[in-house]
Amino acid sequence: MTVQLHMANDKCSGVIMSKKIHLVTLFLIFFLIVPATALCARKGRIKHLTSITRNAETGRLGLLSGIFFDENRKRLYLTDTTNKRILAFDVDLKFVSQFNAAGALEAPTCLVRNSKGQFFVVEPTKGSVLFVDIKQRSVKPIDFSAVPEADPIYAGNMALDSADNLYIIDKAKQRILIFDEDLRFDRQVLVKEGKGLSDVKVGSKGNIYTLDTIDGSVRVFDNQGKLLLTFGKKGRDKGEFDFPVSLAVCRKGLIYVVDQHKHKVLAFNRRGEFLLEFSQLGWREGRLHYPSYIYVNKAGRIFILDRGNSRVSIFE
Amino acid sequence: MQKTIVVISKKIYWAFFIFICVSISALLAADQTYAESTRVSLKKCLKCHTDLEREIASRGAHAPFKKLECSTCHNPHTSNYQHLVKEHIGKLCKSCHKGKKGAFDKKYGHSPFEEGACLKCHNAHSSKNRKLLIAERGELCFSCHARKEIISKKHKHKPVKKGDCLTCHSPHTSDHEAMLKRNVTQACVSCHSKRIRSKEAKKSHSYYPVQDAKCTSCHNPHASNQRNLIKESSHKPFARKKCTQCHNSAQSRDPLGVKAEGMSVCTACHQSIKEDFRKVNTHVGPGVFCTNCHSPHSSDEAHMIKAKEAKTCATCHEDTADLLRDKKYKHKHPSVKEGKCGDCHRPHGSNFRLFFGADEITTCTSDDCHKRHASFTHPIGKGAIDPRSKAEITCITCHNLMGSRHDFSLRFDRKKELCIQCHKGY
Repeated sequence: MTVQLHMANDKCSGVIMSKKIHLVTLFLIFFLIVPATALCARKGRIKHLTSITRNAETGRLGLLSGIFFDENRKRLYLTDTTNKRILAFDVDLKFVSQFNAAGALEAPTCLVRNSKGQFFVVEPTKGSVLFVDIKQRSVKPIDFSAVPEADPIYAGNMALDSADNLYIIDKAKQRILIFDEDLRFDRQVLVKEGKGLSDVKVGSKGNIYTLDTIDGSVRVFDNQGKLLLTFGKKGRDKGEFDFPVSLAVCRKGLIYVVDQHKHKVLAFNRRGEFLLEFSQLGWREGRLHYPSYIYVNKAGRIFILDRGNSRVSIFE
Repeated sequence: MQKTIVVISKKIYWAFFIFICVSISALLAADQTYAESTRVSLKKCLKCHTDLEREIASRGAHAPFKKLECSTCHNPHTSNYQHLVKEHIGKLCKSCHKGKKGAFDKKYGHSPFEEGACLKCHNAHSSKNRKLLIAERGELCFSCHARKEIISKKHKHKPVKKGDCLTCHSPHTSDHEAMLKRNVTQACVSCHSKRIRSKEAKKSHSYYPVQDAKCTSCHNPHASNQRNLIKESSHKPFARKKCTQCHNSAQSRDPLGVKAEGMSVCTACHQSIKEDFRKVNTHVGPGVFCTNCHSPHSSDEAHMIKAKEAKTCATCHEDTADLLRDKKYKHKHPSVKEGKCGDCHRPHGSNFRLFFGADEITTCTSDDCHKRHASFTHPIGKGAIDPRSKAEITCITCHNLMGSRHDFSLRFDRKKELCIQCHKGY
């Protein structure tokens, strides 16, 4: 009898245990099934953190054109085109220093920094991309002579991949020029039917993301230039663009697009499906006025150049 | 016993059936308005509206009007619309006139049609003109569309002369630009097919294969002071028939191809333009991008622009064009109203925000514009900081020149909202 009771108790506790296991399994399955993207970008989860504005240290901010976050050194760099300088901020967004590459910067726009600490800065007025090596104290333009149909090249925005390969937009030919880490021209990706190629970014898996302002489309290429996905269009509905000018890709594959005339940021999942939009026209903190560029760092912080308000708005 | 039950149940069945029928008809009747259920005869209306008597006898009277069915369009008691019509005019007309073979569903719409302003062209009751038009076709079109530009010119296209605008254009909607019935080339070739193949035409086109080209890139389809309706100003090589200055020779494999890549075909002569495209913001694009805005042959506009300035800009800046058309934003800068985008923006390139020619304050207070205003305005520029953004206050901090609901193109109502954006204590 006692044995039977024990067995019954065992059965009961077994059932309870198995129920618990079921619950835990269900809980785990739920988190596996629900895409990380959906969790990372639910409405209301993107909040304005702070802004970088003019202060006594930075002085008057001119036309802001580029942002880059150096993951190795945890530094944020910002180009001030009007004042011919690059500003550096630490991870807490405190001003650290500024430099003008010994006067070599004339109208710096987009910038990136590779793992060796060397800068690449687009100089549209010179028609070149400058390679700035602070350690070596050298500044020289990248050699475009190996690029086919290189006369002239109109460099737009740039991006770097994890292997320090440099991706430069050539606006006149609607293509992405790819240089290896030693700055040798490697290959080009033609953006067929491109009308107004305005931005390029490289995802963590090496895919190339481009944005066309005129037709309002985002194109995703694999690293060899094979078109994988095209999405986005101009229009009045939610998830459609007025005048998209810049894009960024987060580590989880979410694609953020800044719409300058909507004064908003639109987010899409990796399949190009619209998820949400945030911010609106305004002057107060967290609002945007003719935003012009977006950058997302590995920690998921979204840096937006709010050109109309002469500041950088940071969201998370 | 069973029979009585059957009889009673049959009675209940019939009573229920009648009840349902009555309820349905009552519901249907309740759904109708007075005007729909009771046709008001024109005879009653004419007691007061005596002026309509003459119109009703006219040959081209509107069918419901002729049948004395005023209530087809009007509600005799009340309405939210002028003239007691039952619906917004556009909707009302379309409730009967649905457009044959999708005639109203094409890509481009005539603006009065899009706005539902049917009465801009048609008379609702009667007209001596066909299709209840308020004027003869040509006269009607010229009442809005640049009569001077067309009539004053020396040479006129024959249909224009006769006022037969509908030879080429559709009045309501069209699948083609400029409300054309066919694409530009087809529209021209449909009449001029023989002429375009003639020896004379080949010679005048320097033997270039232009039969599939867009005729309106050189010819004005309405009128011109130049022979053969060539547009008013011509690119020098075009006027001198020196086609090979830009194009390959007519005998080559690709005769219409250009001699150089991209903009260099243009900058070979227009050297100084190169600098304009070495700016922070530029309109550099693919191919010979100069021809995105300029006509390489002939044009009726200044600087050989393809179309009127605002229309040229709107080909890419569609959302801005929509904003300018939006009637809610009725307070606009005069240059915006006149479509002179180049007054403030530099079309090739600029080192300043929004393609301005200089910083915002300089742009607005330059000699020809608001110079005086700069001396008595609210503090702007260096030292005047917007407490909201910590950025410098400029003219566009308070004004939205592209269009605003408020006086002086202000961003907020100056009587209650504008100042307290920053001056919180008041």
